[in-house]
Amino acid sequence: MLSVEFLLNAITLGSLCALLALGLVIVYGILKLVNFAYGELIMITGYTLYLLNSAAPLPWLVMALIGVLVAMFTSYSTELVAFRPVRTKSLTAMLITSFAVSTLLQNAALLLISPRARAVPLPKLFSASVTILGIAIPWRNILTILTSLILLVGLTLLLKKTILGIALRAAADNFQMTRLMGVPANMVISAAFVLSGLMAGIVGLFWVGRTASVTPTIGGAPLLIAFVATVIGGMNSLVGAVVGGYIYGVIFSFLGVMLPQSLLDYREAFMFLVVILILLFRPEGLIRGAGTGERVG
Amino acid sequence: MLRVENLQASYGAILALKGISIEVNEGELVALIGVNGAGKTTLLSTIAGILRPISGKISFRGESLIGKSPEDIVRKGISLVPEGRDIFSSLTVEENLRMGAFVRRDRLEYQRDLEKIFALFPILKQRLNQLGGTLSGGEQQQLAIARALMSHPSLLMLDEPSLGLAPALVDQIFELITTLHQQGTTILLVEQNVDRTLEIADRVYLLQTGKVKFSGTAAEVRHQGEVEKVYLGGIE
Amino acid sequence: MKTQNAILLWLKSHTTPFLLSIPLLLLAVLVQAFGGTLLIRIVTVLFINLVMVLGLQVFMGNSGILNFAHIGFMGIGAYTSVLFSMTPQAKAATLPDLYPFLRPIHLPFLPSLLIGALAAALVAALVGYALMRLSDAAAVITLFALLVIIHTILVHWSIVTNGPRTLFGVDNYTTLGISAFFGILIIFIAYLFKETPVGLKLRASRDDRYAAASIGINVVQVRWAGFVLSAFLAGFGGGLWAHFITSFSPYAFYLTETFSILSMLVIGGTGSVSGAVVGTVVVTFLREALRAIENSANIAGLFQNNLVGFTEVFLSILLILILIYRPSGILGSREIRLTSEDLRSVTASSQTDRPVPSSTKEGKHV
Repeated sequence: MLSVEFLLNAITLGSLCALLALGLVIVYGILKLVNFAYGELIMITGYTLYLLNSAAPLPWLVMALIGVLVAMFTSYSTELVAFRPVRTKSLTAMLITSFAVSTLLQNAALLLISPRARAVPLPKLFSASVTILGIAIPWRNILTILTSLILLVGLTLLLKKTILGIALRAAADNFQMTRLMGVPANMVISAAFVLSGLMAGIVGLFWVGRTASVTPTIGGAPLLIAFVATVIGGMNSLVGAVVGGYIYGVIFSFLGVMLPQSLLDYREAFMFLVVILILLFRPEGLIRGAGTGERVG
Repeated sequence: MLRVENLQASYGAILALKGISIEVNEGELVALIGVNGAGKTTLLSTIAGILRPISGKISFRGESLIGKSPEDIVRKGISLVPEGRDIFSSLTVEENLRMGAFVRRDRLEYQRDLEKIFALFPILKQRLNQLGGTLSGGEQQQLAIARALMSHPSLLMLDEPSLGLAPALVDQIFELITTLHQQGTTILLVEQNVDRTLEIADRVYLLQTGKVKFSGTAAEVRHQGEVEKVYLGGIE
Repeated sequence: MKTQNAILLWLKSHTTPFLLSIPLLLLAVLVQAFGGTLLIRIVTVLFINLVMVLGLQVFMGNSGILNFAHIGFMGIGAYTSVLFSMTPQAKAATLPDLYPFLRPIHLPFLPSLLIGALAAALVAALVGYALMRLSDAAAVITLFALLVIIHTILVHWSIVTNGPRTLFGVDNYTTLGISAFFGILIIFIAYLFKETPVGLKLRASRDDRYAAASIGINVVQVRWAGFVLSAFLAGFGGGLWAHFITSFSPYAFYLTETFSILSMLVIGGTGSVSGAVVGTVVVTFLREALRAIENSANIAGLFQNNLVGFTEVFLSILLILILIYRPSGILGSREIRLTSEDLRSVTASSQTDRPVPSSTKEGKHV
């Protein structure tokens, strides 16, 4: 049962979950905002691929790049238009705003495009596989894992080596003190949303690749995954988010082969029960972060 | 250099500053003293842009600071080392110092500054790659001051730098403040350690319940016996 | 005589629920007498929404905690109540695998509603106590997790819910009169809860959790009480809705409905019963107007595709604008009430017209 295929699938899912969780935590760490509109960024990437392809098919990589850029831009715009004005008000106001933004984006897709699924273009490589030592490994899995690794290394370098990255970490640690260093508050927050959009956009490419289609509600499932993974790993730690993501991938795949069908239906309920238990008994998650837990304004 | 006129500000629901006026001239070491709740920290926070005043004026080199964000005020050359130090505990000492130099982008200058800082704070050189949170209280205080100096402030505001430190370390911090002052840094110092403060300050403002109770040179303050009155409960 | 005076005095300082319910009662009576089928339906829905929104206000408004689980309790109340009210024949048709002991049960409408509400309250009571320790983001995520769990169970427990498919065969018991009666009753319940010792303590804990704890308030306990009452009302509202709509699936009790009820409360003003009532009335009518536009556009074939999502797009933009420009809602946290001057003018000159609610004097009115 613990075959190579199983492990590979678990790690593939884990890689996506890690990126998802990271994108959510980058914003949460600084603003303490659980961004409900995060899943819709994946939807945006999907629809960008669909629209580009139906208007003027370009090489897939170019369309993918545009798709990711659009997700980053959307994330940035939601911050600018919706979150920035309510930031200094209450945490609840910010959470409700993110819920409203999520509803807005979903229904805008319903209204402007269609409630029905739309096909997205995929590169040929996604449906091909390579045989190594007698095992057929889908290219999609290999690409997912490689892309995630590259992204994680890149993000680590950004956060450790560049002044912007250090400022982002400092802001998650102590936002007010970061401003007292002369770092503009709006700049770090915008940067966090842009990075969050980058994560969602890249995950989006692979996520829509699973079914080769996009619907207005496609962002729901990845949002829930990101919630669970971040709580497991620790809401205040970027490393925790990555660890939480991989753990999620492994547990979820494991339950998939372990549980009988009658219980498998309740897998999601089980994962969220874990969330509640962790928040009750170990709210800092597996990896304790630096954040003060105080909200910024 | 810094001029505060008739400043009113509230901290939460409490009116903490009830019309305060102070002035700091280039090169001076000015101290704010007074019991807890006199409004010293509120005054520094308001100057730094963390709190919005209700009324009054704050100007720095003739330019008003009212309504400016904390980040803008730092860029104008005012640096605050807040009470309780507030270093970035999840960042290394070096990263803390780089954050301090955020407003200065020159890489070469940064290296030179770092050498100067190490001359002043040798311990930080040894701790360079350690996380801020793992430093001792005295080391954290040194780091907090060093970090503020990295921005080349024209005015350095220190909020209770000796708070919670062992006596030997208190000596060290006061020596450091004296050194910085002698090197020409303008300093606005809030301190509970009144005797030591009066030894090093050029001028002193004595605050009581949100107002300036008395101001003058350190010698004048001593002479008038105002300090004892305020601290020992002599009311009006 | 003395008690009579005391009651009068109390009523004078608590005019709010009367001021809120009198116009609603008039609306219900007028629509029942002169309204067509459509209007009757809309106003019936309005009162059911009122139960849901006030139920949410009871917890969220007084504790300050954003409660995403509310619609989950509505679902519990809906499914539980119909299991008791449906006829055995109807159950056999829609739920063929139902547990044998549930098959013969057939209770009247009101007891079924109460059982549904109690079931929701029971679930809230069992899981709630531990959750009430949490605040801020952790509280929001756990309550959201609770919604997902309830939803997952409703979707997959086919034996009692018919799974993701529509459950049908529910009797249409919820008339305009019934929904109006309960809607108005719950205005009084929500208002009185605010004034009870538990409600006062809960509000104190909202304003400053630590200060409240320091004067001896058991914050977890008062939150729990509010949470359970809120779930009871949500369960009751779910039962009313189920016996109005008569066929539904678990997807009715998820994020779309959550958004709808939450937007009513936030647009009106979370902090007051008056805000909840005004928000419900404004948003319900607005929704219906927008839906009407959607439908007529679709019937006329104005657009190539059917117009869907227009209502939600409009409402979510409205909600964001309210949060930016008027974060405490249309009414804010003050209740509509008559001041003592208003009352004096009434008693002094009995022939004058009914006074206008004068929250204008407090400078909070729009």
